[in-house]
This record gives sequence, structure tokens and C-alpha cells, in this order.
Amino acid sequence: MRERVLGLATLLLVLTPLHLLAQSQKHPDDSAAANTSASEAAAPDSAPSAKESENDNDGPAEKRKFRWHVSGVSLGASYSHFSGPYYYPYAYPFGYPPFGFYPGDWVTASFWYPMASPYPYYAPGAFHYGDGRGEIRLTTEPKEAKVFIDGGYAGTADKLKTLWLDPGAYDLTVAAPGREDFHQRLYVLTGKSLKITAKLDPEQTKENP
Amino acid sequence: MKSMPGWVAGFVVIASLAVAAPKGTVPRSSADKYALHAVRDRFGIGVVALSPEQARKQFVSDVSHCCVVVEVALYPGRDGKLDVSLNDLVLRQNNSEVGEKPASAKVVATKLQKKAQATRDVSVYPSVGVGYGSGGYDPVTGTRVPGGTYKQVGVGVGIGGSGSQPGSSDKDRSTTETELSEKGLPEGSASAPVSGYVYFPVMRKKNQTLTLEYAVGGEKVQLRLPQETK
Repeated sequence: MRERVLGLATLLLVLTPLHLLAQSQKHPDDSAAANTSASEAAAPDSAPSAKESENDNDGPAEKRKFRWHVSGVSLGASYSHFSGPYYYPYAYPFGYPPFGFYPGDWVTASFWYPMASPYPYYAPGAFHYGDGRGEIRLTTEPKEAKVFIDGGYAGTADKLKTLWLDPGAYDLTVAAPGREDFHQRLYVLTGKSLKITAKLDPEQTKENP
Repeated sequence: MKSMPGWVAGFVVIASLAVAAPKGTVPRSSADKYALHAVRDRFGIGVVALSPEQARKQFVSDVSHCCVVVEVALYPGRDGKLDVSLNDLVLRQNNSEVGEKPASAKVVATKLQKKAQATRDVSVYPSVGVGYGSGGYDPVTGTRVPGGTYKQVGVGVGIGGSGSQPGSSDKDRSTTETELSEKGLPEGSASAPVSGYVYFPVMRKKNQTLTLEYAVGGEKVQLRLPQETK
């Protein structure tokens, strides 16, 4: 029974466009007339012709009918199956602590954290690709340097690598123990890619007088 | 009405100035450290004209698409003070009488946004397919029908909508404005050297002569910018 229904549905899908195509080819004169009037109207130096084409539009309703030309139909189907173990349905890009202590999960943390700190809190996915974002490709020396955007901790450079940010101006700081901090003002534009190389110099020890 | 404490008001003013004021660039130790320079009683000036390639490296915004970018450094003269104003700078093309004044960051950002909105992406998507049909039995004769291969080639063309281009959104315009403003020549009274970028809404052409003119307090300087050879 199921095969019969599927067969009928497929037949219908194939026949409908063929029928429409046949209908559209029944009146070749109509389309020829339409083409002529269009070309006449397009001629810039023939004002009477343009007027003629206007008059054509006032003709019988039959000539003004829209016709749909269906030139092809494609069908597709797919099936996917993952036989592996079941994981939590979202990806956490920065790993878990030591990236700060957040009581509860990240959803609740995103509510209380801004109140506790003057710096922005970046929830998981804050630097993922998104429509209307710009790309920052970050290379640091040392690779495990900590990255801060507008003072808020973003992660370590070796894990971040590429950050996608909304358009705007940001203060980037890259820091590593025993190294001088690296500061740069970033201007992020939609669809633009910015390559930043931060080589942190060893911290200069203060000489005692 | 109880007025706000003086220190709060002071903090607000200082904070707002720190955020809004252009920072410019770091001036070199003296005007003669610039390839193009001049020193007068009242001021010293050093100039670097950025080629489109240099402007592309220096700015995230496509400022070279609409403007000639010039880095200007100004040094106060003997009296130790100088009023810096963009209106004192003029760019003349081929020594013409009519000069071009610098455009503000806001104007340049708006121009760039309009330019970005006008362009559209055209993408071509080619497709090729090869398949194999395993054949079967003819329902009328009952004989085996052999299998065969089928090939398919296709191409699709997509044209992006307006506003889909980089730099075309309002957020992009605002960011461009911030960048140009922050890197721009700071205006106002200066008691120490200041430098920053100045944007002239002029398109560079081959073999075009550009002269930068700076006039303040009755003293005038004309510096001829190097020609674009490419």
C-alpha cells in the first residue's frame, strides 16, 4: 500500500511541471508579441513605439496573463545516523576550569557575573562564527598566553586561535607570566578578517639602586 | 536642587573626554624626522602621505577607497602653543586654485558605508555529478536491461543583496567612524607636539600633483606630496 502511495506522489510531482510546461508552450504567439513590445519600449529614440507598447497593455485580458515556466524539478532525500555515544548537545569551546569559578552552570553565571565584575563576561560561544561578525586570527608567543577583550577574560590563545566578534572597537590584551603585556586596539568590521601577532617580550626586571 | 559633588562632575567630564577625544598617532621627536617637513616661527610641520597600500595596512576600514590619507605632525613654535584646526589644512590638486579641506571621520565613514552598500557579491556555484544505474528487467519482454552511467553538469549564479557587504551596516559605520576619529589629528590647543591622520576626500590618480598647504597666524607652508606611480 505504502509503495502505491509513494509511486502516485512521485508521478504527480513529475507530471505537474510537465503539464505546466506544455501549457506554456501552447501559446507561442503570445510570448513573441510580448517580446516585441518589450523591445520596442526599450528603444530610446522611438517615442511612438513606446506609446504603442503602452496601448498593447490596454488590450484583451488574455494577453496580460502571467505564465509560469517550470524548467526543472529536483528531489532529494537524506538519512543520517550517528552510532557513537550521546553527548551534551552544545559544544563548550574553552574547556572547563581553570577558566574561573562560576557557581552553577554558565547560564546562571552569565546573570550574576556582570554584577560581580566591572569586566564583561563571555559565555560559551561568545566568539563563534556568526552572521555579521568579523574575524580575529590571533597568534601569540607564548602560545598559552591569556587573552582579554575589553578587560574580560576570553581564554588562552592556543585554544581561541580565531575569535568572531560583533562590529565595534575593542581593547585586546594578551598576558603571560614573566612577559610584558601586549595591548592593541581592535576595530572589527563585518566580514573582515584581522590577523594579530602578539609576541610578548620578557618582563624587564627593575634594577635596585 | 542639590547639585552633584564637584569631584563627580570632574570625573564625568574627564572620563567622557578620554573616551571621545581623538588620540592620533605618536609624533616623532622633531619635524625634520619626516620626509616632508617645514619649520616656521610659529610652528613646525612634518608630513607623510600614505599610499593606498599603506592605508590598507594601517586601517581596518577601506579609507583608501575614498580618500587620500596624510599623517600630519604639528610642533608648537617659539611661543610654545599652537591651535590645531583641520580647517588650516588644504590639499590642492595640480596647483589648482580650489583646494580640498579635510573630511571629518563621520563624513568619511558615511561615504564608505554608502560605497559598501552599492557593491554586491556575485557567486558562481558549479556542480558536477556522476552516477551509475544498476539496470533491471524490462517489464514487457522480461529480459535483463543493462546498467549504465549518467553524468550531470550544472552552474548556478547568486547575486548578494544590498547591505550584505563588509562595512555596510550601521554598526560598521560607527566602528569606522571610531577608528578614523581615534587615529585622526587631535584638534584644539596644543602645547606639545601632536600628530594624527587627516582624510582628504580626493581620489588619487596617476601622475597627479598633490600639494598640502598649512596656514596659521599669517604663516603658510606648501608641501608637495610624492606622486602615485602605480
